[in-house]
Amino acid sequence: MNFPEASPSTPVTVNPIAPQPAEYAAGTPVTGKVRLEAAWGSTEGDEDLSITTPTAQKADGQIFKQQYKQWNGELNPRWMRNWAILRHHLLGVFKKGHRPWGMAIRLYLLVIFIASMSDVGMTLLSGIIGDSGLHSVWGVNRDNLYGHVLGFFPRNMLYYPVVAALLVGGVISEDRQHGTSALYFSRPITRLDYVGMKFISVAVIQGLLILVTLALFYFAEIATMGRGWAWIIDTLPMFLATVFSAILLIFTYTSIGLSLSSVSKGKFFPGIALLSIILGTKVLAFIASNLFDREILYLISPYDCLAHVGQAIIGTQPTYDQYSWTWSLASLVAMNALALYVLSTRVSSMEVTRE
Amino acid sequence: MQDDLIIKTTNLSKSYGPHVALNKLNLSVSKGATGLLGPNGAGKSTFLKTILGLIQTTEGEGTVLGLDIRTQGDAIRSRIGYMPEYDCLNPEMEAIHQVRYSGELLGMNPTIALARAHETLQYVGLGEQRYRNIGSYSTGMKQATKLACALIHDPELIIADEPSNGLDISARNYMIETLTNTVKTGNRSVLMASHLMDDVERVCDNFILLHKGKLAAQGRIEDLKGFDREIEIHVWGGASRLEETMIARGLSVRREGRVMRILHEQEDTTSIILRCAADVGAQIRRMHEYEASLEDLFLSIMEDLGYEVKTSEDLLGSPSQARKVDAPEHMGGGSA
Repeated sequence: MNFPEASPSTPVTVNPIAPQPAEYAAGTPVTGKVRLEAAWGSTEGDEDLSITTPTAQKADGQIFKQQYKQWNGELNPRWMRNWAILRHHLLGVFKKGHRPWGMAIRLYLLVIFIASMSDVGMTLLSGIIGDSGLHSVWGVNRDNLYGHVLGFFPRNMLYYPVVAALLVGGVISEDRQHGTSALYFSRPITRLDYVGMKFISVAVIQGLLILVTLALFYFAEIATMGRGWAWIIDTLPMFLATVFSAILLIFTYTSIGLSLSSVSKGKFFPGIALLSIILGTKVLAFIASNLFDREILYLISPYDCLAHVGQAIIGTQPTYDQYSWTWSLASLVAMNALALYVLSTRVSSMEVTRE
Repeated sequence: MQDDLIIKTTNLSKSYGPHVALNKLNLSVSKGATGLLGPNGAGKSTFLKTILGLIQTTEGEGTVLGLDIRTQGDAIRSRIGYMPEYDCLNPEMEAIHQVRYSGELLGMNPTIALARAHETLQYVGLGEQRYRNIGSYSTGMKQATKLACALIHDPELIIADEPSNGLDISARNYMIETLTNTVKTGNRSVLMASHLMDDVERVCDNFILLHKGKLAAQGRIEDLKGFDREIEIHVWGGASRLEETMIARGLSVRREGRVMRILHEQEDTTSIILRCAADVGAQIRRMHEYEASLEDLFLSIMEDLGYEVKTSEDLLGSPSQARKVDAPEHMGGGSA
């Protein structure tokens, strides 16, 4: 018996099935049709029978087939791996899918970036309205360049140390906490590459806030006041000296901060310890200086040493006059050496199999 | 045969001060799946760190995939996928980006790493969950993500350190199937360190047993089939009487509560056991041939070495139902 071909889901009228003689054949395979006929007596009263037949059989399908796929690509060299670490940390500030910096940190960075440009804004304003008095207060000069990087209030009290504390907080300590250090060291990443790229990442973010706004300040002066080559040649050395001071500041804050991060398993301790070291020693030295008229304690304060060296190389009036700026430089070198020693030993001891 | 070797060590030693973690280790690991066994402190972690080229050996030498472990650590780690035992994932990242980043750390181009991360997460069964934060994952999903991180660059050798650690039965089965599939269809090699012998037995063809930094045993798991065969019976009442009777009739009996294993030496051992049970009035509730497993071998070797270790059942916390069965007191049970 042949059914006529049918279009999908179209009712098809089927010719009545001719009565067959009922006989039992043991060798005949039992099929669904035969059983259906046996159950419903399909040879009787089937004159008006119609059925719907699909044109194609539905495939059972497979929801998930586990199939290993090989990859024949080539791995890039060391610089690409280091770039990946740097990119992971830097892009995390701006977008998802990279290192997750907290929303509060990102907002604080934005606020500090805007606040750091207060002198840029005032320079632009003085240039636009042509107010020489306003410009003499806010324009580019030796003291204002120094103040942009090394002024204590508000920049080295509320801005840069807090930014450094927020950034270094989890950079290494979270790798200890979550065990993500295993992800780095089970790959062809050396300890030097690991710590170097983390260091540069944190330093670059601080650099965006300090150095970029410093450059904007300098170029705003040129643009709004129409400064010529003579002015640029005159002021470029002190601008470069300020850039050097800023690099020294970023390096010092980062090295102390990362060393604290490397001895910790959380965000809070490294952050609060860095602030305590920078602000606490400053306050302690200030109190000792006022009570006993001795400035020697400034040598244990990273900020005071940076400010003293900065004053010397930018050429502003020194406020630390009881000892030479070279003592402060030596103290800075010692502080950084100690911090980098702690950082390197702690990173060397980070485990792959267990942390 | 030499081409098949993926790991070879010669007199490999590593000391931490006076403590010898690896003691003149000589072993050869062929392609395929190999289980790395040993109790805590046996030197498994030190061995893994050594073959990853992460620590300097005190003495001896070794090669992994033909590369020297003393001088070519970077090249070795580029060709190995390591799945650590402990957490190594950032809970605030989405799995897809975590896996992509792990590929980038190997030197993969970001775009290629992302495409490959999709493939590997699909492979380990997290295709639909890949955009979720890892912090919201179950333990099984985290383990799968770690495996995806290890597989992203299609390594020749995957080192899986306790891959089924902390997983429930279904997640554990899935992990085992995935590793087996990687070996069988992916044609990759796996070195699997685990305390769960059942898992090693299901995935691996070979095993290495370390003890106090030395190689205690090495071989093919299939060779265990040649071990003495036993008949296991579960007895209800009169177990002690039955044990004594069977021993008296010359059978070799090992007993743990109501479960006894009798060495299958003669053709009529089964009949003798049944006759003994009938004579002393003990009921045999279950009787079957017992094949020695890797766990038996491990326990037996450790016992010989005078070392107490826990069984898989102890570690999983799910003792077999048979051992829970206890006969009523009037039948001699109650405190088996």
